[in-house]
Amino acid sequence: MRKILIAFRKNSFLIYSLIPAFLYIGFFALIIGFYLLKLSLTKYAGGDVVLSSTLYNYIKIFDDPMFNKEFSDAFRRTLIFVIVVTPLQLVTGLITAMLINKSFAGRGIVRSILLLPLAIPTIVTTSVLLILFSKGGHMTSLLMGRYSFFPKIFDYEISFISNPYTSIGLSIFGKVWRDTPISMLILLSGLQQINEEQYEAARTMGATAVQNFFYITIPLLMPSISSVLILRSIEAWKEFIFPYILAPSYPILGVLIEKYYVQLMDPGTAAMVGIVLIVCILVTSYVLTYILNKINRYLIRA
Amino acid sequence: MKKINADKIVWLILLILSIFLVLFPIYIMFKYSISDRRSWITGGEYPVPWWPFKPTLEMYKYYLGDKRFWSNGWLSLKIALLTVSFSLILGTPAAYSLARFKFNGKAFLLFLILAIRFYPDISSVIPVSYIFNKSFLYNLPNEIKISLAHCLLSLPYIIFIAQGVFETIPVDLEEQALILGTSRFYAFLRIVLPIAAPGLAAGAIYSFLLSWNEFVFSYFITATSVSSEVPLPVYLKTLLGSFSPNLVSISTLSLLVSIPVIIFTFIVQKYMIAGMIKGAVK
Repeated sequence: MRKILIAFRKNSFLIYSLIPAFLYIGFFALIIGFYLLKLSLTKYAGGDVVLSSTLYNYIKIFDDPMFNKEFSDAFRRTLIFVIVVTPLQLVTGLITAMLINKSFAGRGIVRSILLLPLAIPTIVTTSVLLILFSKGGHMTSLLMGRYSFFPKIFDYEISFISNPYTSIGLSIFGKVWRDTPISMLILLSGLQQINEEQYEAARTMGATAVQNFFYITIPLLMPSISSVLILRSIEAWKEFIFPYILAPSYPILGVLIEKYYVQLMDPGTAAMVGIVLIVCILVTSYVLTYILNKINRYLIRA
Repeated sequence: MKKINADKIVWLILLILSIFLVLFPIYIMFKYSISDRRSWITGGEYPVPWWPFKPTLEMYKYYLGDKRFWSNGWLSLKIALLTVSFSLILGTPAAYSLARFKFNGKAFLLFLILAIRFYPDISSVIPVSYIFNKSFLYNLPNEIKISLAHCLLSLPYIIFIAQGVFETIPVDLEEQALILGTSRFYAFLRIVLPIAAPGLAAGAIYSFLLSWNEFVFSYFITATSVSSEVPLPVYLKTLLGSFSPNLVSISTLSLLVSIPVIIFTFIVQKYMIAGMIKGAVK
């Protein structure tokens, strides 16, 4: 007992410094997980508990044809969203990072401008996209050839929000627009650690810019690239606000949660969808880590 | 020599293109906010002009004279500042210990920080709003409830950024202080913190932006409470949801919500980048 007390006193700073933060995070992590699991195992009808500890919500995915269609559509859309958004953010982030990795006059201002999307609230971004692509807005006028500098593409006014492809495309555009600065910053930190001498050595041996990029930049940037891919894919699975405002009639899984929880007052189904999302996130990050490790090892050996 | 020029041209074109892509939506937002009625309701007879026929500041006058806008903005500001202070108070000591000490279960603690980020906001908001609105915490004022919820989002980032900052500070300084007989706590407070302050500023800025911009938690927590004051993003959402939205009103409010953070970003971008890089290297 005394030993424990002495050890405690010796490490008191460590303990006191760690306890508040981790108690807070741990408490919420536990409660959220437990509560979601409990809700997902409860059957609700009209806002009241009908049956507890049942797998009804999970079985419903396969048994109920209506719900099956809704769920699998939402799942497909989410999957497309993730598969498109994650690499796209890597590419846009890499391009912008390489653009400002040079020193030039006005670099600070350009960097600030490229960081702007991160600072603007998401809901503002969605509202601007909504205005830009609304009926009678700029985009429809542009595509109908109303402006002299742009050719006519459509004869009629297309409604971006109520078309399954354009509405998801619009949310993808918004998501990439908003989150590019984050991947840019992560990749920029990676780029700045690459030694300039390596490029010079390659150049004296006659390497082209393209070779430089594929044989020096990409392999040395692998740690940053992996963290971008993993972090961004998690965020893409979790996305809610862009599709919620821009594609309300074509829900992805996150929007489905809101629909069931708020509109249909069925927390059981909502929590079940949440659990499915968490499983998807865990599986994706595990698989991605595995693949990226493999690639990394291959690149280092080659 | 010719080749270098080609590279430069491609670089310049891409740079201009990306600046254009970033600024264009912001310009559209500004343009709509000063539009007169004829410039945005065209009835299909003429295309929407790129600059309003008769620019007007009507909507700005309306909002800046509106009591509801100011009280909502004040609430947003209070929430953001509270989030920053809560997450700094909780996060920095923990980050310091994670950076300096080796102990059993460190990996587990790091996993815990990550684990909370695995929950999608839209599903973790169900239990969180339940805790804040249906338990003994019900009587807390809204700003504290919401900032505690935002803290949950910002704390992992603060811990990661601050840990990176502390790792760059040499241990010698504290060790000398400890040899001279100060306590760990004193050395942390008076020696490490002042050196780490610029790096920690990045974490603070990040959590301020996160809280100012956050929608989901604010929406769910205020939806089930009695107070009529809501944070600005939620206020904006109420405009978007109406049956025939007034685009001028929406874009004016959008711009008013963004202006403070846009200016803020321009002023502090140096700290932001330094801190992000330190935190992101891991």
